[in-house]
Amino acid sequence: MQSAQLLFEDVRVGSVLAPLIKRPTTAQLFRFSAVTWNAHRIHYDKPYALVEGYPDVLVQSHLHGCFLAQAVMDWAGPQAHLAGLRWQNRAIAVAGDVLTCTGEVIKVELRDGLGFVECQLEERNQDNTLCAPGWARVRLPRR
Amino acid sequence: MSVSLSLIYEQIKRELNKPRRISVGTLQRREFQRFAVASDDHNPLFFDDTVARACGYPAVVAPPLYLSSVMGWEAGPPQEALRLDGTPAADATALAIEGLRLMGAGQELEFHRPPTDGTEVVMEFSVSNVELKQGRSGALLVIEVQKKYLDGAGLPLVTCRENFIAR
Repeated sequence: MQSAQLLFEDVRVGSVLAPLIKRPTTAQLFRFSAVTWNAHRIHYDKPYALVEGYPDVLVQSHLHGCFLAQAVMDWAGPQAHLAGLRWQNRAIAVAGDVLTCTGEVIKVELRDGLGFVECQLEERNQDNTLCAPGWARVRLPRR
Repeated sequence: MSVSLSLIYEQIKRELNKPRRISVGTLQRREFQRFAVASDDHNPLFFDDTVARACGYPAVVAPPLYLSSVMGWEAGPPQEALRLDGTPAADATALAIEGLRLMGAGQELEFHRPPTDGTEVVMEFSVSNVELKQGRSGALLVIEVQKKYLDGAGLPLVTCRENFIAR
Protein backbone atom coordinates (compact mmCIF):
# COMPACT_ATOMS: atom_id res chain seq x y z
CA MET A 1 0.00 0.00 0.00
CA GLN A 2 1.35 3.42 -0.96
CA SER A 3 2.09 5.71 1.96
CA ALA A 4 1.94 9.52 1.99
CA GLN A 5 4.76 11.36 0.23
CA LEU A 6 8.02 11.26 2.18
CA LEU A 7 10.24 14.36 2.07
CA PHE A 8 14.02 14.37 2.16
CA GLU A 9 14.10 16.55 5.28
CA ASP A 10 12.02 14.00 7.19
CA VAL A 11 14.54 11.15 6.78
CA ARG A 12 17.53 10.42 8.99
CA VAL A 13 20.19 7.72 8.99
CA GLY A 14 18.56 4.91 10.95
CA SER A 15 15.01 5.66 9.73
CA VAL A 16 13.29 2.35 9.00
CA LEU A 17 10.99 1.33 6.16
CA ALA A 18 7.59 -0.16 6.94
CA PRO A 19 7.96 -3.94 6.54
CA LEU A 20 6.38 -5.41 3.40
CA ILE A 21 5.08 -8.98 3.66
CA LYS A 22 4.61 -11.18 0.58
CA ARG A 23 3.21 -14.67 0.29
CA PRO A 24 4.09 -15.90 -3.21
CA THR A 25 1.77 -18.62 -4.52
CA THR A 26 2.15 -21.05 -7.41
CA ALA A 27 -0.39 -18.94 -9.35
CA GLN A 28 1.65 -15.80 -8.76
CA LEU A 29 4.89 -17.48 -9.85
CA PHE A 30 3.19 -18.86 -12.97
CA ARG A 31 1.82 -15.43 -13.89
CA PHE A 32 5.19 -13.77 -13.25
CA SER A 33 6.90 -16.32 -15.50
CA ALA A 34 4.23 -15.77 -18.16
CA VAL A 35 4.47 -11.97 -18.27
CA THR A 36 8.27 -12.06 -18.30
CA TRP A 37 8.38 -14.78 -21.00
CA ASN A 38 10.39 -16.98 -18.65
CA ALA A 39 9.88 -20.66 -19.54
CA HIS A 40 12.39 -21.97 -16.95
CA ARG A 41 10.52 -24.96 -15.47
CA ILE A 42 11.87 -24.53 -11.92
CA HIS A 43 9.32 -21.70 -11.49
CA TYR A 44 6.08 -23.49 -12.45
CA ASP A 45 6.71 -27.25 -12.81
CA LYS A 46 7.04 -28.80 -9.32
CA PRO A 47 8.04 -32.33 -10.46
CA TYR A 48 10.84 -30.76 -12.50
CA ALA A 49 11.87 -28.47 -9.59
CA LEU A 50 12.17 -31.62 -7.42
CA VAL A 51 14.45 -33.19 -10.07
CA GLU A 52 16.76 -30.19 -9.68
CA GLY A 53 16.76 -30.71 -5.91
CA TYR A 54 14.38 -27.92 -4.85
CA PRO A 55 11.48 -28.50 -2.43
CA ASP A 56 8.92 -26.67 -4.62
CA VAL A 57 8.72 -24.13 -7.45
CA LEU A 58 11.16 -21.26 -6.95
CA VAL A 59 10.48 -17.55 -6.59
CA GLN A 60 12.12 -15.85 -9.59
CA SER A 61 15.27 -13.80 -9.02
CA HIS A 62 13.54 -10.76 -10.54
CA LEU A 63 10.51 -11.16 -8.28
CA HIS A 64 12.75 -10.91 -5.21
CA GLY A 65 13.94 -7.62 -6.70
CA CYS A 66 10.36 -6.48 -7.33
CA PHE A 67 9.46 -7.10 -3.68
CA LEU A 68 12.45 -5.09 -2.47
CA ALA A 69 11.72 -2.24 -4.92
CA GLN A 70 8.09 -2.19 -3.80
CA ALA A 71 9.09 -1.97 -0.13
CA VAL A 72 11.22 1.07 -0.94
CA MET A 73 8.73 2.86 -3.17
CA ASP A 74 5.71 2.22 -0.93
CA TRP A 75 7.71 3.89 1.84
CA ALA A 76 9.08 6.74 -0.30
CA GLY A 77 5.83 7.75 -2.02
CA PRO A 78 4.81 8.46 -5.63
CA GLN A 79 6.99 11.54 -6.17
CA ALA A 80 10.17 9.69 -5.22
CA HIS A 81 12.46 8.39 -7.97
CA LEU A 82 14.15 5.02 -7.53
CA ALA A 83 17.66 5.73 -8.84
CA GLY A 84 19.40 2.45 -8.10
CA LEU A 85 18.74 -1.04 -6.76
CA ARG A 86 20.88 -4.09 -6.23
CA TRP A 87 20.30 -7.41 -4.55
CA GLN A 88 21.73 -10.89 -4.28
CA ASN A 89 19.84 -14.16 -4.35
CA ARG A 90 21.39 -15.65 -1.22
CA ALA A 91 18.87 -18.40 -0.39
CA ILE A 92 16.00 -19.85 -2.39
CA ALA A 93 12.36 -19.04 -1.68
CA VAL A 94 9.47 -21.23 -2.83
CA ALA A 95 5.71 -20.97 -3.23
CA GLY A 96 4.06 -20.87 0.18
CA ASP A 97 6.93 -19.07 1.91
CA VAL A 98 6.22 -15.86 3.80
CA LEU A 99 8.75 -13.22 2.75
CA THR A 100 9.25 -10.05 4.75
CA CYS A 101 11.12 -7.10 3.24
CA THR A 102 12.65 -4.61 5.65
CA GLY A 103 15.02 -1.71 5.26
CA GLU A 104 16.95 1.00 7.03
CA VAL A 105 18.38 4.31 5.83
CA ILE A 106 22.18 4.18 5.87
CA LYS A 107 23.01 7.47 4.10
CA VAL A 108 21.38 10.81 3.30
CA GLU A 109 23.04 13.11 0.80
CA LEU A 110 22.33 16.44 -0.87
CA ARG A 111 23.87 16.57 -4.33
CA ASP A 112 23.38 19.56 -6.66
CA GLY A 113 20.36 20.54 -4.60
CA LEU A 114 18.72 17.11 -4.92
CA GLY A 115 18.08 14.88 -1.91
CA PHE A 116 19.23 11.26 -2.13
CA VAL A 117 18.74 8.51 0.43
CA GLU A 118 20.44 5.11 0.51
CA CYS A 119 18.80 2.14 2.18
CA GLN A 120 20.06 -1.26 3.20
CA LEU A 121 17.41 -3.90 2.48
CA GLU A 122 16.67 -7.45 3.50
CA GLU A 123 14.16 -10.04 2.41
CA ARG A 124 13.82 -12.91 4.92
CA ASN A 125 11.57 -15.97 4.98
CA GLN A 126 9.41 -17.31 7.82
CA ASP A 127 12.46 -19.05 9.33
CA ASN A 128 14.36 -15.73 9.36
CA THR A 129 16.67 -17.01 6.62
CA LEU A 130 18.08 -14.14 4.59
CA CYS A 131 16.90 -14.78 1.02
CA ALA A 132 17.89 -11.49 -0.60
CA PRO A 133 20.07 -8.76 0.87
CA GLY A 134 19.80 -5.54 -1.09
CA TRP A 135 20.51 -1.82 -1.39
CA ALA A 136 18.57 1.04 -2.93
CA ARG A 137 19.17 4.68 -3.76
CA VAL A 138 16.14 6.99 -3.92
CA ARG A 139 15.72 10.65 -4.79
CA LEU A 140 13.15 12.29 -2.53
CA PRO A 141 11.37 15.61 -3.06
CA ARG A 142 12.44 18.44 -0.74
CA ARG A 143 10.28 20.56 1.50
CA MET B 1 29.64 -34.48 -15.46
CA SER B 2 28.59 -34.81 -19.09
CA VAL B 3 29.59 -31.28 -20.12
CA SER B 4 32.96 -29.59 -19.88
CA LEU B 5 32.79 -26.39 -17.83
CA SER B 6 36.14 -25.26 -19.13
CA LEU B 7 34.99 -25.69 -22.76
CA ILE B 8 31.85 -23.65 -22.08
CA TYR B 9 33.96 -21.09 -20.21
CA GLU B 10 36.17 -20.64 -23.29
CA GLN B 11 33.12 -20.44 -25.54
CA ILE B 12 31.51 -17.68 -23.44
CA LYS B 13 34.84 -15.82 -23.20
CA ARG B 14 34.82 -15.51 -26.96
CA GLU B 15 31.42 -13.79 -26.73
CA LEU B 16 32.56 -11.15 -24.23
CA ASN B 17 31.74 -7.52 -24.98
CA LYS B 18 30.12 -8.16 -28.35
CA PRO B 19 26.94 -6.11 -27.96
CA ARG B 20 23.74 -7.29 -29.61
CA ARG B 21 21.09 -4.65 -30.34
CA ILE B 22 17.54 -5.85 -29.84
CA SER B 23 14.34 -3.95 -30.57
CA VAL B 24 11.94 -4.08 -27.63
CA GLY B 25 9.29 -2.11 -29.51
CA THR B 26 6.65 0.27 -28.21
CA LEU B 27 5.71 -0.22 -24.55
CA GLN B 28 2.03 -0.76 -23.94
CA ARG B 29 0.36 -0.25 -20.62
CA ARG B 30 -1.41 -3.61 -20.59
CA GLU B 31 1.91 -5.47 -20.73
CA PHE B 32 3.59 -3.61 -17.88
CA GLN B 33 0.38 -3.47 -15.85
CA ARG B 34 0.17 -7.26 -16.05
CA PHE B 35 3.74 -7.36 -14.78
CA ALA B 36 2.74 -5.09 -11.88
CA VAL B 37 -0.25 -7.31 -11.09
CA ALA B 38 1.90 -10.47 -11.22
CA SER B 39 4.40 -8.74 -8.91
CA ASP B 40 1.52 -7.90 -6.54
CA ASP B 41 2.44 -4.21 -6.80
CA HIS B 42 -0.61 -1.96 -7.13
CA ASN B 43 1.19 1.37 -7.12
CA PRO B 44 -1.19 3.88 -8.82
CA LEU B 45 1.71 5.31 -10.87
CA PHE B 46 1.42 2.15 -12.99
CA PHE B 47 -2.38 2.25 -13.36
CA ASP B 48 -3.76 5.77 -12.96
CA ASP B 49 -2.88 8.49 -15.50
CA THR B 50 -4.15 11.20 -13.14
CA VAL B 51 -1.75 10.15 -10.38
CA ALA B 52 1.12 9.76 -12.87
CA ARG B 53 0.51 13.24 -14.34
CA ALA B 54 0.35 14.77 -10.87
CA CYS B 55 3.84 13.34 -10.32
CA GLY B 56 5.19 14.88 -13.54
CA TYR B 57 4.89 11.96 -15.96
CA PRO B 58 2.99 12.16 -19.26
CA ALA B 59 1.07 8.94 -18.53
CA VAL B 60 1.28 5.79 -16.42
CA VAL B 61 4.84 4.54 -16.04
CA ALA B 62 6.24 1.01 -16.15
CA PRO B 63 7.34 -0.61 -12.87
CA PRO B 64 11.08 -0.03 -12.45
CA LEU B 65 12.02 -3.70 -12.90
CA TYR B 66 9.74 -4.38 -15.87
CA LEU B 67 12.24 -4.02 -18.71
CA SER B 68 15.07 -5.93 -17.03
CA SER B 69 12.79 -8.78 -15.90
CA VAL B 70 11.43 -9.73 -19.32
CA MET B 71 13.56 -12.59 -20.63
CA GLY B 72 12.88 -12.17 -24.33
CA TRP B 73 11.37 -9.64 -26.70
CA GLU B 74 11.04 -11.85 -29.75
CA ALA B 75 8.21 -14.25 -30.54
CA GLY B 76 10.45 -16.95 -29.13
CA PRO B 77 11.54 -20.42 -30.22
CA PRO B 78 9.11 -23.32 -30.80
CA GLN B 79 8.63 -25.74 -27.93
CA GLU B 80 10.94 -28.35 -29.43
CA ALA B 81 13.77 -25.78 -29.40
CA LEU B 82 13.64 -25.38 -25.63
CA ARG B 83 16.21 -27.07 -23.41
CA LEU B 84 15.10 -29.76 -20.98
CA ASP B 85 14.82 -27.09 -18.25
CA GLY B 86 12.49 -25.00 -20.43
CA THR B 87 14.94 -22.21 -21.27
CA PRO B 88 15.49 -21.30 -24.92
CA ALA B 89 18.70 -22.61 -26.47
CA ALA B 90 19.09 -19.94 -29.10
CA ASP B 91 17.21 -16.67 -28.67
CA ALA B 92 18.92 -13.27 -28.88
CA THR B 93 20.06 -13.26 -25.25
CA ALA B 94 20.64 -16.99 -24.75
CA LEU B 95 23.92 -17.95 -23.13
CA ALA B 96 25.89 -20.84 -24.63
CA ILE B 97 25.53 -23.09 -21.56
CA GLU B 98 24.05 -26.23 -23.09
CA GLY B 99 23.85 -29.00 -20.45
CA LEU B 100 24.35 -26.71 -17.44
CA ARG B 101 21.85 -25.51 -14.83
CA LEU B 102 21.43 -21.76 -14.71
CA MET B 103 20.32 -19.62 -11.78
CA GLY B 104 20.03 -15.87 -11.27
CA ALA B 105 22.48 -14.71 -8.58
CA GLY B 106 21.71 -11.02 -8.30
CA GLN B 107 21.48 -7.74 -10.10
CA GLU B 108 22.53 -4.12 -10.02
CA LEU B 109 20.22 -1.62 -11.69
CA GLU B 110 20.40 2.08 -12.47
CA PHE B 111 17.12 3.77 -13.29
CA HIS B 112 17.66 6.86 -15.43
CA ARG B 113 14.04 7.71 -16.28
CA PRO B 114 10.89 5.61 -16.18
CA PRO B 115 9.49 4.50 -19.54
CA THR B 116 5.82 5.27 -20.03
CA ASP B 117 2.99 3.93 -22.14
CA GLY B 118 4.11 4.52 -25.75
CA THR B 119 7.88 4.70 -25.15
CA GLU B 120 9.98 3.14 -27.95
CA VAL B 121 12.67 0.94 -26.41
CA VAL B 122 15.86 -0.66 -27.69
CA MET B 123 18.08 -2.98 -25.66
CA GLU B 124 21.83 -3.39 -25.99
CA PHE B 125 22.83 -6.78 -24.61
CA SER B 126 26.32 -8.04 -23.94
CA VAL B 127 28.08 -10.66 -21.87
CA SER B 128 30.46 -8.55 -19.80
CA ASN B 129 32.34 -11.12 -17.71
CA VAL B 130 32.73 -14.85 -17.09
CA GLU B 131 34.69 -16.57 -14.32
CA LEU B 132 35.36 -20.23 -13.65
CA LYS B 133 35.20 -20.77 -9.87
CA GLN B 134 35.34 -23.57 -7.33
CA GLY B 135 32.16 -23.50 -5.20
CA ARG B 136 31.25 -25.59 -2.14
CA SER B 137 29.54 -28.17 -4.32
CA GLY B 138 32.04 -28.17 -7.17
CA ALA B 139 33.10 -26.03 -10.12
CA LEU B 140 30.76 -23.37 -11.46
CA LEU B 141 30.66 -20.45 -13.86
CA VAL B 142 29.74 -16.94 -12.79
CA ILE B 143 28.47 -15.06 -15.83
CA GLU B 144 27.75 -11.31 -15.86
CA VAL B 145 25.53 -9.84 -18.55
CA GLN B 146 24.84 -6.18 -19.15
CA LYS B 147 21.57 -4.87 -20.55
CA LYS B 148 21.16 -1.22 -21.46
CA TYR B 149 17.68 -0.03 -22.33
CA LEU B 150 17.43 3.15 -24.40
CA ASP B 151 14.48 5.15 -25.69
CA GLY B 152 13.87 6.03 -29.34
CA ALA B 153 16.14 9.08 -29.05
CA GLY B 154 18.98 6.96 -27.64
CA LEU B 155 18.59 8.29 -24.08
CA PRO B 156 19.18 5.75 -21.32
CA LEU B 157 16.19 4.35 -19.43
CA VAL B 158 17.64 1.50 -17.38
CA THR B 159 21.08 -0.10 -17.07
CA CYS B 160 21.18 -3.62 -15.65
CA ARG B 161 24.13 -5.80 -14.67
CA GLU B 162 22.94 -9.30 -13.88
CA ASN B 163 24.90 -12.27 -12.55
CA PHE B 164 24.11 -15.88 -13.27
CA ILE B 165 25.58 -19.06 -11.84
CA ALA B 166 25.85 -22.01 -14.22
CA ARG B 167 26.83 -25.47 -12.96
